Amino acid sequence: MVQAALNGAPAPASGMKMDRHASGSDGLAAQDPDAVLLVRYAQGDRTAARLLTVRLSPLVFGHALRVLGDQAEAEDVAQDALMRLWKIAPDWREGEAKVTTWLYRVTANLCTDRLRKRHRGVPLEDIAEPADPGETAEARLQRGAREDALQTALDALPERQRHAVVLRHIDGLANPEIATILDIGVEAVESLTARGKRALAKLLGGQRDALGYEDDKI
Amino acid sequence: MTRSDEDMLENLLQDARARPQPVPQALMDRILADAIAMQPEPAPRGWRGLWQAIGGAPAFGGLVTATAVGFWIGVAAPAGVSDFAAALITGSDALSVEVAQETGVADLTAFGWDIEEL
Repeated sequence: MVQAALNGAPAPASGMKMDRHASGSDGLAAQDPDAVLLVRYAQGDRTAARLLTVRLSPLVFGHALRVLGDQAEAEDVAQDALMRLWKIAPDWREGEAKVTTWLYRVTANLCTDRLRKRHRGVPLEDIAEPADPGETAEARLQRGAREDALQTALDALPERQRHAVVLRHIDGLANPEIATILDIGVEAVESLTARGKRALAKLLGGQRDALGYEDDKI
Repeated sequence: MTRSDEDMLENLLQDARARPQPVPQALMDRILADAIAMQPEPAPRGWRGLWQAIGGAPAFGGLVTATAVGFWIGVAAPAGVSDFAAALITGSDALSVEVAQETGVADLTAFGWDIEEL
């Protein structure tokens, strides 16, 4: 049973079949540093609570932000996903799944729920851009335009493709782990990411000039 | 998808990967507050740990009661207890007979046990 194998993480919200191909990263869970911290957290160690917050919040928030394209919603999802982790901590079964895999799965499900309730995309101008003191105003504008264009294109992807592309190409996860998170086969992940990238390239293809790629050596 | 489109996409994704959106401090604070609020209390150590390991005040009350009863039985044992204890220790077969003789069926009815009998 997949749910049991992922420490009770809820099944993906999609109607996709629940077959489980990759044992994925489960075998690595024994050395999972987050699992060690989670055990310490459950024993009342305040330092572990702080370390887990610092380590895991960026992953959850970053994924939710890319998938949802909305800062306020991404914050809600991040807080909710981690709340579920704190709740399950005393019952965490070591060796069954990596903490991050479990957390990405919960986050992906929460994002899916929100995407399905949502009627339309959210203005991307709301997303604060990370400041870089050494960057010129022109470069910052250029970068902002590129980030907006990428996010708009991501928002246009079908939900499963978006999850797969973000997990693979932005979060940098390996296909077997993505397969576990989305509860699909590795081949299905490869197919989703390939189709997603083709769709992104098509969506962005007409904006080369506007995004300044004609002049850039890329 | 042309080669240049592919390259542009790779470049955009690489930038997105290299520059993750920072987590707002207020969100980090909220998450940490949740973590601490939901965190189980650490297990007590030393005497407090031992005290809780034996079950705390209720278990200690039971221990005191059992000790007092044992002491009282030692000081003023009811009739037959010494024989019963000796039989228990030596494993004598006469135990059940002696108990039945000394207790008597009439004593058992005093507790209302005969009411339950068919």
